[in-house]
Order: sequence, then C-alpha cells, then structure tokens
Amino acid sequence: MQARKIALLLSILPGLGQFYNKQWIKGLLFLGFGISFFVVFGDLLNMGFWGLATLGTEVPRDNSIFLLAEGLIAIIVTIFGLAFYYVNLRDAYKNGQRRDENRPMSSLKRDYQNLIAQGYPYLISGPSLFILIFAVIFPILFSFALAFTNYDLYHSPPANLADWVGFDTFAKIFTVDIWRSTFFSVLGWTVIWTLVASTLQVALGIFMAVLVNQKDLRFKKFYRTVLVLPWAVPGFVTILIFAGLFNDSFGAINNDILAMVGIDAIPWLTDENWTKLALILMQGWLGFPFIFLVTTGVLQSIPDDLYEAARIDGASIFAQFRNITMPMILIATAPVIITQYTFNFNNFNIIYLFNGGGPSVPGSTAGGTDILVSWIYKLTLQSSQYSLAAALTILLSVFVIAIALWQFRRTDAFKEGA
Amino acid sequence: MKKSNKYIGLMSGVALSLALGACGPQESGEGSSGGEAAEEQDRELIVWEDIEKADGIRDAVAQFEEENDVTITIVEKPYAQQIEDLRLDGPGGTGPDVLTMAGDQIGTAVIEGLVKEVAVEEDVQSIYTDAAMQSQMVDGKVYGLPKAVESTILYYNKDLITEEELPATLEEWYEYSKETATGDQFGFLALFDQIYYAQSVMSGYGGYIFGQDADGNYDPTDVGLNNEGSIEGANYIQKFYDEGLFPAGIIGEQGINVLESLFTEGKAAAIISGPWNVDPFTDAGVNFGMAKLPELDNGENMSSFIGVKSYNVSAYSENAELAEELLVFLANEENSRTRFEETQEVPAVEALANDPVVAESEVAQAVAEQSIFAELTPNIPSMNEVWTPADSALQTIATGKAEPEDALNQAVETIEGQIEATHGGN
Repeated sequence: MQARKIALLLSILPGLGQFYNKQWIKGLLFLGFGISFFVVFGDLLNMGFWGLATLGTEVPRDNSIFLLAEGLIAIIVTIFGLAFYYVNLRDAYKNGQRRDENRPMSSLKRDYQNLIAQGYPYLISGPSLFILIFAVIFPILFSFALAFTNYDLYHSPPANLADWVGFDTFAKIFTVDIWRSTFFSVLGWTVIWTLVASTLQVALGIFMAVLVNQKDLRFKKFYRTVLVLPWAVPGFVTILIFAGLFNDSFGAINNDILAMVGIDAIPWLTDENWTKLALILMQGWLGFPFIFLVTTGVLQSIPDDLYEAARIDGASIFAQFRNITMPMILIATAPVIITQYTFNFNNFNIIYLFNGGGPSVPGSTAGGTDILVSWIYKLTLQSSQYSLAAALTILLSVFVIAIALWQFRRTDAFKEGA
Repeated sequence: MKKSNKYIGLMSGVALSLALGACGPQESGEGSSGGEAAEEQDRELIVWEDIEKADGIRDAVAQFEEENDVTITIVEKPYAQQIEDLRLDGPGGTGPDVLTMAGDQIGTAVIEGLVKEVAVEEDVQSIYTDAAMQSQMVDGKVYGLPKAVESTILYYNKDLITEEELPATLEEWYEYSKETATGDQFGFLALFDQIYYAQSVMSGYGGYIFGQDADGNYDPTDVGLNNEGSIEGANYIQKFYDEGLFPAGIIGEQGINVLESLFTEGKAAAIISGPWNVDPFTDAGVNFGMAKLPELDNGENMSSFIGVKSYNVSAYSENAELAEELLVFLANEENSRTRFEETQEVPAVEALANDPVVAESEVAQAVAEQSIFAELTPNIPSMNEVWTPADSALQTIATGKAEPEDALNQAVETIEGQIEATHGGN
C-alpha cells in the first residue's frame, strides 16, 4: 500500500499519520490539539448538538432558548474542529505522497516558513475573523434559527419548551388574515418610503453641493457650515423637536408658519397621508447633509480641464452638468447612495419617535406609517411573538439584500476589488 | 489532488458521526437535591424595587435582615421592565428573589413560569382590598401580594376652578368646557383616544373588555368592546372632539405630553391623569387639587382601571421560602404605611384607608374614593392584544375618521383575530 494512503488512514486519529511519517513533533502537536479539542469542548458539543436537535425535553431543567444558542456555538466550534481535522489529514497525505515519490518531507520549520510567507494576510485577519464569527454570524444564525421554532409566550422558558416547526411561522404570515393584509400594506409603504425619502435626500444633497460649489459664490464656508448643521444635531433630538413643531393644534408649523401665509391648519399627526409627507420631508432634512459633504468632496476633485474643454466645444451649462458633473458624482458616490436606501428601509428611529408609527388606521394591526421594522418591534414587544418577529426579520433582510445586491451589480460599485 | 479530497471528506464524515454518538445530558433533574446544602450557607436575597422607591423599604429590609440573619441587596429598576429583565437574569443566576411588577403582567408571567405560587394564609390575604388581591390570582392560585394601587383621578387647577364649583357629572363638565373653552384655553381634557382612559366612560355605560364568570375569571372569547354600552360611551366621547372641546393636538403618540403641559401652563382647568403626576405637577408650581372622577348622566360614576403593583417571588429564587417570608413582611400593614409615608404610593391594605396618615393625603383619598368604582385591568395574556386595536379605534373616532360603531366593531374583529392567531389553541 502506498504510504500516502496509510498515512491518511492512520490520521483518522490526528497525529498518527504524522507519526507514521516519522514527524514526531508535528504528530504530537496534532495529537495534543485533537485530544484537547474533545476535552475542552466535549461537554459543549454533547449538550449543544443534543439541545439543537431536541430543544430540550424536560422542564424546568432545559431552557430551549439557551440550548439553541449552545447548539449554534457547538456548530461553529465543530466547523473549526473540522477545518483543523482537514489540515491534519491533508498534511499526512501530502507527506505520505512525498515519501512515495522519495522526496524529502516538509519539516515543521518549512511549514512554519511557508505559513509566514504565503499565509500572512490570513494570519493577520484570523483573530478579527474569529470575533466576527461570534459578534456577527452567531446572532444572525440565532435569529434565523428562531424563525423555525414556535418560540412565543406559550413556548417560553422556564415553564415551557420551544420546538422546531419548520416553515409554519412563515406560512402563518401569509395565511392568517390580519397578518397577511397588514404585512402587504406595511411592505407597500416601506418600499415607497424607502424610494421617495432616500431619493429626496440624495437629490437635495447633490443639488446643494453643486450649488455651493459654483465658482462665483462667496462665503462658501459659511454655506457649507450651515448646510451641515442638521447632521450635527443628534437625530433623535431633531425628530422629537419636529414632532412638537408638527403638532396639529399647538405646533409652530400650523400656528405660526402656515397661519402666516394664510393656510389652514393641516392634520400633520392625525392624518395618515400628511404624516407620511411630514416624515419624508424630515428625512430629507436629516439625510441630505451627508450626501452634501460626500458630493462636495467629489466635486472638488473634478479637474477643471474637463469643463474648459467642454466650454471650448460649446457645451451648455446643463450639458456640462449632465455629461461631466453627474457621471463623476455617481461613479464616486454610488455605494454611499445605495447605503442610504438600505438605511431608510430600516429607519426605525424616525418612524417610531415621530408618531409611533401612527396615526391609526381602521382595521390594521399596524399604524398608518409603520414600516416593517417598527411593526416587527411592536409585534415582539406587545405579544411576545418572537418566532414571528424572527421570520419577518428574515423576509425583511431578503428584501434589503436583494435590492442592495441588484443595485451594486448594476452600478459596478465594487468592481476591481475596491 | 481531487482524489485526496474525496478520501478526506469521507473520513471527516466517519469521524463526525463517531463524535455524535451518545449525545444529551446524562442525568436529569440536576441540582434538585443538591440545593439544600447551598441554602444553608448562602442566605442572601436580592430585591428588585421600583425606581426611586427603595427608600420606602429600606427600614423594613434592615429589620428583616436582623431577624432572619440574611443579607439583602436592593436594586432599583423601573417596575414595568422587571419581568423582561427576569427572563434573562433569572436563568443567568443574577436575578432577584423578590421583584415588583404590574398586576396585569401576572397572567403572562405565570404562563411563562417566571413567578412562583406563594402559600399565604387566608388571614394575610384578607388585609388587602378584594380587587387588589384578585389581581394577584391566576386560576385561583396566589402569585404575589399587592404593594400599591393606582387609579386615574381628576386633577383640577384651583386657580381656574374652586373645589365648590367642581361639576359633579361629566355632562356638566361638557357644559363647563363649552362655556370656558376659547382657542387656547380649555375646560376639561382627557386622553379619550386611549382605551386606558376611555374605558372610564365606556364601562360606565355597560361596556367591558372581557366577560367574567362567577369566580371572576376572564373569558377571552367574549370581548365586550362593541356592545351597546361601549358604543354609547364612544358616541359620548366623540362629541368632545367633534365640538373642538378636545383639541386635535392631544390625540396620538405625543398627546400625553401636550395634555400635561396644557395643565401645567394653566391652559386646562381639569384633566384626568394618574397619581404618578403629583410630583411633576407640584414641581411645576401648579396650584392643583384632586378628586374622584365625575359621574355619568346615567347616574353611574365614571369607572377607571386600577393598576396594582405587587411583590412577587421569582421562580428562579434559590431561597424561595425565605423570599416568601420577606414578601409577606414587606407587604404587611405596618410596612405598607411606612412605604406610603416615604414614597406616597397608595397602599392596598384595606385598614389603611382610614389611617390618619393616608386619610390626610389628598391623592390617597382621591385614589381610594375612585377605587370603589374602578375595575381591574384584566391580567390574562389576551389583554396584550386589546390595547393597540382599541386605541386605534378610539383614535379614529376622535379624529372623526370613523363612526364609533364601525370603529369598535372593526377593533373587536382585529382583537379576536389577534387572540385567535397568537393565543388560539392555548
């Protein structure tokens, strides 16, 4: 039998293949790692996989939610273990192959040098990858998993256990009447809100930046400072102040500003459509300074030669704007602009703080201006519908990811590995 | 290379399946017998008290520590949030032994198994008002003891209206508001776009949220928010908004802030609010008085929701017996009186209603008088599905977007749908 096969077979127990290849130190290291992996993680893996499969069998001993978390950690640890196992097998096989071909085996020193020379970027990013897995991937997996359980008020620890129910919760969203109708009306407004509010803030930001960047304009610094101010005040403060200003009977907007021009009081907070308008205007106000700043930066980097050449060719100001300024801005800021859309899709603060998702509309479990996130928030808090909230979150992420992916691809924003 | 990958993959699979054999906890019911020894050594209790209310129990706790040789730690937390924190802190081992919460959360807490049933004698239970004690019962079992009661009451501005002039009925308040209300001055105001306040009127006309059987158990399938009485009440409510006596600015999410600032600025003669506003109004320098809510024109007094704050024992407590003793001790008559003196929380102990300390306090008196006409907030979990749809309906009634009957019918439909969807089959 070939040495590579023997080494590979022996390596089922980490280290033995290396011993067979007479690489004693390496073998010991692999064996040591292998044993300590099971010593350290044995309990976790045992409890974790059992918990993940059953979500507990006995109250009050078992807490389904903790078992679920433990199970997910066990999976992550197992993946690490398998990666290590793969390295072990591969090493044994490779060196066995070298023996078969009568080539010198790679020593530990060589391996180390190889690792430093070729794997340096991986070595450096390793720790942050590790943290990323527990800080980002684990919570995502957790809420993902919750969507497939029946975790709600009646299946909560410590008195009760939760169970896996597959796609039942998703099915419920589309079969239970009050949820289905609410889901689609909320989704509709969420999409409109995202498109209109984000487009407004982006357009306003670019427009202002181009305006302030005009050569002949004086006091540029003054204008820039003033225009950035909305960004300098914490968002929630602005929103709460606006909520006061927009008050139907006592707000300054109705009583002072609109009354001055002779317009009757507008039901900003009690009429659905007016609230929507107020929200969109506010988001324009809150969001444009960022785009304004980014665009200003881009504008300053457009070489004057381009405009000069255009002028010589007799291009009008609008032609210059359309063919030089706009493309330059869009190329440079496309990723930023896309993030504005994804941000607004989940812009909980403004919806919740301004009017609590209200005003109420008859026959709906969500308020007239609730977007998906704020509706999910209400559902979870008020009715302890954790699994439903998790399922909705997944649907919501699917939308955001799909839109973002599509836009990124269309604009080639991340071309050239940037 | 390709071949090697196949081998490696195969063997990884073999190893994995080996490792997965014989999973699960080896013993069941861990620690049920080992707990005894721990109990002897570590006599420590943690009490979660409402925010800024720890002063009310400090003396009692010190006394209990001495008598029972325990160490007690008091932690202050907003009471509405304690049950939420208990969900994580309990199993984490950092949770309280005794906590405080709102009476209408008890149904939920019991279903989740977060609070323990307590074995208190009949003579201990009997010192509290019936309604307050009732709030601590689920399916006939006792899960805590009442700490304080709250009810909405009438606040009036003495600079605008004297005690003698106070209208006795809501209809008279309506007339009064009509006479006195100008563009930015108002007579009587209330947040009738929220079921918490509107129920005062609707219940007086015979509306109810959940029907009750003879033992006081709620029936979640019997929602009375669209019965004749409720609709009559809602119609009555609507005329305040229709005629501009209640401005549109007090409707909705920010309404409560507007209402309170109208009162503190002296722009409203009277409002309905809860005892939690005594301090803020005093600080604002308002010359105000308090009274029970007025009568309705059918002769019934306006009702209100009594909120009962209670002490409960955590299901995670390792010293449950001691915690139970502490619970009874904290909620007893003497400590309830001390707590009232310190924190002004109206006690639920019946005998204290006539105690000079309590009787002299205007707020306690108003709450006590109103409590006679008040009803409990239903403590079953289905109540969670009532608030939002009911508020929505009332809001559309207030803004004139819907007729009371349609709005309430729709609300009940939504409520029943929600109960079916989230509590159905339980």
